[in-house]
Amino acid sequence: MPEKSDSDTFPASDAFAADLLRGHTDTIVMAVLSQGESYGFEIFKTIRMATGGDHEIKEATLYAAYRRLERDGLVESYWGDETQGGRRKYYRITDAGRAVFRGNVAAWITTRRIIDALLDVKDTTP
Amino acid sequence: MTDDSHRPVGGDLHRLLDAAFAGVEMTPDAQDLKEEIRANLLARVAELEAAGRSPADAARHAIDELGDVHALLDTPGAPATGSPMGWEEAGRRHRVRPKPRFVVGIVVAAFTATAGLVLTVLGATGVLPLPIGIMIAVLGIGATGVAWIVGDSLAQETTTNHPMPASRAGGYFLASLLAVYGLGIGGLVALGALPMWAVAFAVPATVAAIILFAFLGATQTNRNKAWVRALQRTQPPMTNRFEQEPETAARFGIYTVVVWTVSSAVFLVLSFTVGWTWSWVTFLGGFAVWMVLLARMQFRPSR
Repeated sequence: MPEKSDSDTFPASDAFAADLLRGHTDTIVMAVLSQGESYGFEIFKTIRMATGGDHEIKEATLYAAYRRLERDGLVESYWGDETQGGRRKYYRITDAGRAVFRGNVAAWITTRRIIDALLDVKDTTP
Repeated sequence: MTDDSHRPVGGDLHRLLDAAFAGVEMTPDAQDLKEEIRANLLARVAELEAAGRSPADAARHAIDELGDVHALLDTPGAPATGSPMGWEEAGRRHRVRPKPRFVVGIVVAAFTATAGLVLTVLGATGVLPLPIGIMIAVLGIGATGVAWIVGDSLAQETTTNHPMPASRAGGYFLASLLAVYGLGIGGLVALGALPMWAVAFAVPATVAAIILFAFLGATQTNRNKAWVRALQRTQPPMTNRFEQEPETAARFGIYTVVVWTVSSAVFLVLSFTVGWTWSWVTFLGGFAVWMVLLARMQFRPSR
């Protein structure tokens, strides 16, 4: 699971936090999918739960992420065989996706350390 | 939930979804996206209704949350990044050098595999008088070398491919080990270097290897890097037919299992009737058929 960005009380920082979160949409989606195959609404719910409902990622942003990830071969999709409601489009992460995800997580850990140092963050408890 | 209770909600949602897609050219891609969104919205509407919203309100709210779909379709599939680049140039730019540890490991493994297999053959043909236990151990070392080459190569990042996850590469290692060990022991029995009971190890190992290979092949997902895929879209290279036509790959998998099962069966029958001296030829025949099959199915002349 990606880090929870600590949602603080200043409204102006909400937009900043949402921006930060949105910048990592692809990696977040890969994180959700590395836990198992899933479809759009379920992925959306998982992310919503992790963010505590604050500045959640818009669904359109997620659809854009799926399309990008699928084009680059990082996830694969297939149609489910639901009979009721609509047919769901399921996504699963590929080996390429796992490799890229691992790299992104490593990059995030490094970047987080650098930014913490630059911003002089005292409390670095995740 | 019955169909009737669903319909009014669906009706509202479907109309709003149509409105959201108004003015979008309905390519198969756009149609797919619309159907995907529809299923997710239905789930969201059900959730909102469960929270106490009226059906019409829930549908409108779900659509509002969705955001703008036009932005998704403005950049269709591939925005042709770096399409003027050829394969050579792109390959140079994205070049990944093999790790020194990997190169050294492969050289050592290749040496070990060669030594192990050559010693086994020498022992089996009687050139080198080796006891049975030593011969099996030496064959095991050779098989491990071969399996190491397979597994470690797959776990490496290359210019065109991402590395395979360790567990999957480990699976290929195990399958290769079983295959070489199983076939090797079978070969030793055929040459008369091992007693007949050794077949009890050779056949299960080989069958397990085939099953494991089939499983790994069937569950394999994409490993190509994004730039390779981008280039494949713009200028198809020497095409890998199995990647483009999964059904052909599946057919090949089935044929493979059939060829080797039949070979194994014929081998066993011949072994007990004609004798060990000639029954191994079955595997040679099986291998030849299999390679011809691969050539025919993978590199079919394009029409």
